[in-house]
Amino acid sequence: MSRSVWKGPFVDAYVLKKAEAARESGRNEVIKIWSRRSTILPQFVGLTFGVYNGQKHIPVNVSEDMIGQKFGEYSPTRTYYGHAADKKAKRK
Amino acid sequence: MTEQICVGAIAGSYGVRGEVRLKSFCAIPEDIEAYSPLSNEDGTQSYTLVLVRAIKNGFTARVGGVETKEQADALKGLRLFAPRDRLPSLPDDEYYHTDLMGLEVYDTGGTLLGTVKTVQNHGASDLLEITVPGHSSTILLPFTLAAVPTVDLASGRIIADPPEGLF
Repeated sequence: MSRSVWKGPFVDAYVLKKAEAARESGRNEVIKIWSRRSTILPQFVGLTFGVYNGQKHIPVNVSEDMIGQKFGEYSPTRTYYGHAADKKAKRK
Repeated sequence: MTEQICVGAIAGSYGVRGEVRLKSFCAIPEDIEAYSPLSNEDGTQSYTLVLVRAIKNGFTARVGGVETKEQADALKGLRLFAPRDRLPSLPDDEYYHTDLMGLEVYDTGGTLLGTVKTVQNHGASDLLEITVPGHSSTILLPFTLAAVPTVDLASGRIIADPPEGLF
């Protein structure tokens, strides 16, 4: 069953505080968070969060298409490298 | 000799008519056929591939000169390589993982930060995994224009402006 709409999205309060402080300071920094369960809100777009995966903080650049997802979805807890082959990386 | 890139592997024979089970490591799995003929690791043997159909975890394929199940069985475990120069050229700000791996990363002041180990993508932006000299753990650097302003493949170096708190 999905979450009731009247409750609004869940975000840990400290994540909101940290994000607000980072935005006000205007500095280019990684906001370290442990809350994988928090929902990505529109005011997080453009910020870089370091989302803990149980071992280290994985940098997550928040973009518009990530709104509504949870932070934990972008910080896998298991490592699988695979093969590089012809895979490409794009600088955005 | 140009750099060889592993693009697939033969997992074994398929059926009794000399077809093989092929695992493709390419971003678009069907592209492995476009890089044919492929070679083995030391480049002494060449193999032409024709994909037959998709199966679970890969494809069935016909390999040039392989007509029987016994010949196909003998290829089990063979890793297939394509020369780097056979990969199509890419637009600006797009790079092959194989080109980025091994590049040295310097900060804007010219200090060596480390070497690119792998390139990862967990759904957000691409990340460069950097091995830092003197440390056992690795650092993940977002592959963005802000964090990585310069990629110089010719000189084998990357200039990075990492966010605070990353290194």
